[in-house]
Amino acid sequence: MKFTPKHIDENVNVSKTHPLGELAWLVGGMLLLALVFYLVLGVTADLAVAKIPIKAEVWLGEHFVASFEANEDEALRRRLQRLLDNLPADSPLHQYTFTVQLVKNEEANALALPGGHIVVFSGLVEQAESENELAMVLAHELGHFAHRDHLKRLGRGLGLTVAAILVFGEDSAISRLMSNLFLATESGYSRQQESDADRFGLELLVNSFGHAGGATDFFARVVKKAGRRVPYLLASHPHPEDRIEELQSLIRENGYPVEKSAPLGDDLLSETEPEQEAETAVDQ
Amino acid sequence: MLEVIFGNLDLFLFLLLMAVGYSCGTIAEKRHYKSIIRREKELIKLMLVNAEGHFADGAVNNSFLVSGSMVVSNDYFKRLLAILRNFFGGRVKAYETLIDRARREAILRMKEEAKAKGAHMIVNLRLETSTIGRSANKKNSVGSIEALAYGTAVVMNRP
Repeated sequence: MKFTPKHIDENVNVSKTHPLGELAWLVGGMLLLALVFYLVLGVTADLAVAKIPIKAEVWLGEHFVASFEANEDEALRRRLQRLLDNLPADSPLHQYTFTVQLVKNEEANALALPGGHIVVFSGLVEQAESENELAMVLAHELGHFAHRDHLKRLGRGLGLTVAAILVFGEDSAISRLMSNLFLATESGYSRQQESDADRFGLELLVNSFGHAGGATDFFARVVKKAGRRVPYLLASHPHPEDRIEELQSLIRENGYPVEKSAPLGDDLLSETEPEQEAETAVDQ
Repeated sequence: MLEVIFGNLDLFLFLLLMAVGYSCGTIAEKRHYKSIIRREKELIKLMLVNAEGHFADGAVNNSFLVSGSMVVSNDYFKRLLAILRNFFGGRVKAYETLIDRARREAILRMKEEAKAKGAHMIVNLRLETSTIGRSANKKNSVGSIEALAYGTAVVMNRP
């Protein structure tokens, strides 16, 4: 046997694809999958949310609200109870056991958390000038519960983050990126959801107080304080001016009487420090 | 600007590692292949087979073990490509060059040793590959592989 040495220039063991080209294909594929998943998730989350029993939601809420200090606020509780007492008898909201907490925070904001937990930031109580206005905010949050908006909001962002964790692992950079990206963008309600919650809140306000006074006060103050800001292109909330208009047209259409609103009770005023200069936020 | 960078430090770190991984990895690979091809041509006359050697009596002067090995490291860019491949399936093309380079370099080092010791051929070539660092492809670490080539160098009795 004769040994004939010959150098082979071609290398079958290495693919010819350019690594950047491969990266583009793979990342493109990932993005496409993520997009399809996102769209499907959005539809299924909205469909599924209506079917989630309130019991399951309460269980979910217990795990979420652990991050907030759970000290129920008595004064706010009384105001919420008054609204709850005026709900129609067949309202699904009766299945919830609502809790309302006052959290020290300068923002004028309130949150609806899964499981019937309402969190009111002290900034909102400090700024509120009337019982009716505060009731409108609470009724608006109840509207989110009635429409299960708080679950729909979590559905998509939560689903995406869970999917990323399942695929890439809890500690991976991609999972962290996904959770930052999607939990942040999904952290608001849609404009439609806000409008629906406003409508629900207005009806409940009228049922409880007999008139629609104070319904637009909160937004009017937001407009006055934050009118100069223009971050509204991307905001998930309708512009407060639009909300005022919508509420007023609803009041006109339904012929709700508008009377003078009641000043804020002393029991709430004593709980907050009025010297704090509160910043007005629009996420209410 | 600085605020944006510090706010998304992990994202920027990720992109930086990708860029460093890609540019340094590509440069190192190109240079390595150049050297591999040049040295392979130089050493091509040294016969190398993986068959057992059978020689006539008195033909072999001396024989001894020769070995060569190379450890080559993964980089962040290749790792990303491989992770994405784990998702879609298919050839993990990013790692092909790593294995190829390590194997060829190991053989070259073995041949260089044999040549330095005056061998005329290497028989019984064996190749082995192992990962170094069990954490390869896990969490935030980057692993490396070792290729080992060994064989029997034979010095013939030639006039």
